[in-house]
Amino acid sequence: MTELEAGRAQALVPVRSGAVLQRYRDVLIALIAFAVLASLPLFTGSKALLDFVIRCSAYGLFATSLNLLVGYTGLTSFGHGMFFGLGAYSFGLIMQKLGLPIPAAFVATLAITAVFAAIIGAICVRLKEIYFAFVTLAFQMLIHSTILSWASFTGGDQGLRGGIPRPVFLGIDLSNHVHLYVTSCALLIVGLLAMRQIAQSPFGYTLRMIRDNAARASFLGIDVWRAKLTVFVLAALFASMGGMVMALFVSGAYPEFAYWTISGEGIFINMLGGVSTFLGPMVGTVLLLLLNDTVTRFTEYHGIVLGVVILFFALGLRKGLLDFVAEWYAHRRETGEER
Amino acid sequence: MLEIRNLAKSFGGVKATNDVSLDFPDGSLTAVIGPNGAGKSTFFNLITGALKPDSGQVLLDGIDLAGRSPPEIVRHGIGRAFQVASIFKSLTVQETMLAAVSADQRTSAVLHKRFPLPETRDRAEHVMELLGLASKRHRTAAILSHGDQKLLDIALALVLEPKVLLLDEPTAGMGPEERWRMIDKVRELWETQKITVVFIEHDMDIVFKIAPKIVVLCYGRILATGTPDEIRNDSAVIDAYLGTEYAGAAA
Amino acid sequence: MDIDALAGCLSSSACLVTQTTSGLIIGMLLFLVAVGLTLIFGVLKVVNFSHGAFYMFGAYFAMTAYQLTGSFALAMLAGAAGTAILGLIFERVFMSRVYGADVLMQVLVCYAFVLIFDDVVRMIWGPEFKAMGMPAAFQVMPLFIAGGVVPPYYLLLIGVALLAAIVLGIGLSRSRIGKVIRAAAHNPGMVSALGINTGMIYGGVFALGGMLAGLAGALAAPVRSLTPGMGFSVLIESFIVTVIGGMGSILGALIGALLLGLIRSFGSLGFPLFTEGLMYLFMVFVLVSKPTGLFGKEAA
Repeated sequence: MTELEAGRAQALVPVRSGAVLQRYRDVLIALIAFAVLASLPLFTGSKALLDFVIRCSAYGLFATSLNLLVGYTGLTSFGHGMFFGLGAYSFGLIMQKLGLPIPAAFVATLAITAVFAAIIGAICVRLKEIYFAFVTLAFQMLIHSTILSWASFTGGDQGLRGGIPRPVFLGIDLSNHVHLYVTSCALLIVGLLAMRQIAQSPFGYTLRMIRDNAARASFLGIDVWRAKLTVFVLAALFASMGGMVMALFVSGAYPEFAYWTISGEGIFINMLGGVSTFLGPMVGTVLLLLLNDTVTRFTEYHGIVLGVVILFFALGLRKGLLDFVAEWYAHRRETGEER
Repeated sequence: MLEIRNLAKSFGGVKATNDVSLDFPDGSLTAVIGPNGAGKSTFFNLITGALKPDSGQVLLDGIDLAGRSPPEIVRHGIGRAFQVASIFKSLTVQETMLAAVSADQRTSAVLHKRFPLPETRDRAEHVMELLGLASKRHRTAAILSHGDQKLLDIALALVLEPKVLLLDEPTAGMGPEERWRMIDKVRELWETQKITVVFIEHDMDIVFKIAPKIVVLCYGRILATGTPDEIRNDSAVIDAYLGTEYAGAAA
Repeated sequence: MDIDALAGCLSSSACLVTQTTSGLIIGMLLFLVAVGLTLIFGVLKVVNFSHGAFYMFGAYFAMTAYQLTGSFALAMLAGAAGTAILGLIFERVFMSRVYGADVLMQVLVCYAFVLIFDDVVRMIWGPEFKAMGMPAAFQVMPLFIAGGVVPPYYLLLIGVALLAAIVLGIGLSRSRIGKVIRAAAHNPGMVSALGINTGMIYGGVFALGGMLAGLAGALAAPVRSLTPGMGFSVLIESFIVTVIGGMGSILGALIGALLLGLIRSFGSLGFPLFTEGLMYLFMVFVLVSKPTGLFGKEAA
């Protein structure tokens, strides 16, 4: 839902109940979405389809978390993919070396990500636009080259091989494909719901203020640096979650997960789906993965096809798909009201 | 009471603010005038923390705020509006107000509740009514008229319930009629809200009509302070700034 | 890590000479690419994410021209001229549409061309590694300077790059067109007010930037292997150079490139696996101490 629509919804109901209602509505949508996704294996035996949804979960969490930075705060990170890679590697390494229960490894990975993100963020968020973009990119490359060079620990360019152990917890066996599928969907939905909450919280509006006019925000008593750092760490946590889903899916971790192309794809996904709506990046994720899968099936030159599609969006539509739909819808509503 | 003591700031040798000392008693309304480059905006920037003074004190009720960060100074009760309306272009008027109140109530980092928080509502509502923005609450700031954007900027400062309100050219970029409407609004706010207001203004008719006290800045120094009559008849001001035209008009 | 090797090298003049020369050629090549990047950013305020592709095309053009004509000079010319034309077309047809747009949009257009150009190269020249080979004129005994081995081609490479740097520096500060370019970097509105076609300037700067990157690629072709995607690591490194030196500063690009070249060549002795990491660490270090780069102007 766009901010424009949110404003309209509030016009109809008092502010307070409007906000609460909106929350119930989001939870309801999430529950329905989860129910639909989780029941999918009952209707189809297609492993390819379920795999597709798992990959969408991993990339969707990552891309939506990037939108918290790019779309909501105006922080264009070119290195957000480092947290995707960090999540995948930390989780894989903890499981391989320490053999913790999966939930413990999950939490430990989030903690590690938070520490890294806090340090890197503390350095980066005070830099201006293009510098912020490139320093985040540099940190991404730093992590990538660390992974490559520290071969004894990370497996170097071969990646973390030998599979990630997936012990049963709470009756959930992640080596079972359906279990893995449902868990991925659950992580996606919980993650999206949490990010939606962040976006619609008072903090979410603080982020919008910073995006629009950081100087003014500080004259309202907002500590801009702290708010930026907070969202940088929060976004890193969800990106890391995406990385963990990916690590579980491929039962390993590879240097490509930490390479700059992941960040590039994340930004592309955001543009593809649109950054002005919460679900834009999710739509973008599905589109990109579909595109990738289809194109690689038909031609070995999928770079050209992908490039042309990007050009179409960037030069033709000049905005993401959901942005386009939202604007069209808003326009229609406005002209409808005037009539 | 806002007391400025020996405030100074130079940029590469140019003294933009040169040993300025001023008192703004509680509930006073003061106009700051001066030719372009007199250091009026710099003066505001020093008080509000946008710039750090080289030396001097900014005392608000006895607490020295000089050199502190903008958020800190705002929290001590000095609010400001800008020459070019400084607003949040993608937020609606109502969202802007609610978010500003959140910032003031230190709930702007709250994650687990939905925006807006119920306790922010009354204050936001009050200020929107006060400035006549209530009917435009659902408009996005970017599509507001120039005058309404300036009002929204002032509303942003006012909603924080400051002790001192600094307005940097509230009538900048407005037509003659709109100027008077805006300045009447400022005066009304000053009268009803019982706050200290300091404003920068270029239009001498406005200044002489509504400001009980006037400060004249020139090359970073205070040239004169006093009532409109005193300023009109101050020979230094007439020589340096007003010229014979105003002196004649005053006579 | 191999600190002993690094210490050993630093105490031997032969090794010092060899490593410094190799650092210089890395640095000079990087400079040629980075200076185009920084010029384009300075004048057009666009970060040309596809700049590495021009380096790649320069190398491939040079290789093909050399194979067809057997002339090294023609190969260099083909690399430089081909990419200049490419840059002009790229700017006029595509980039000119996204000026003033969101940075994200500009990056995306460039990203699209990174993908497209890499595939085009793969289509025309094939996906495998190619080598241009050292031209016969340079297949002579290497020079020995203070015991260090220096292939003559390295000297040519450094010389050509240095010449380009000097011509560029003088051209920008002395010539009329250079002054216009610098004025455009400062204030685009003013240039069009003077009646000068900004489109021409923008296209010209892009062509110049492309040409310099192409020249770097052509110069590198005899000593590097050619592969689709070879531009990317060069691109990232030139970004580091421009960020270290300060966006928009030519002197900064030169200093940054040389520093990075030396870090690479000496770092590869001391930290063979972490050479790239060193560069990133260096960049982070510079930016933390001076956020606008060594020679960058304070952002307004």
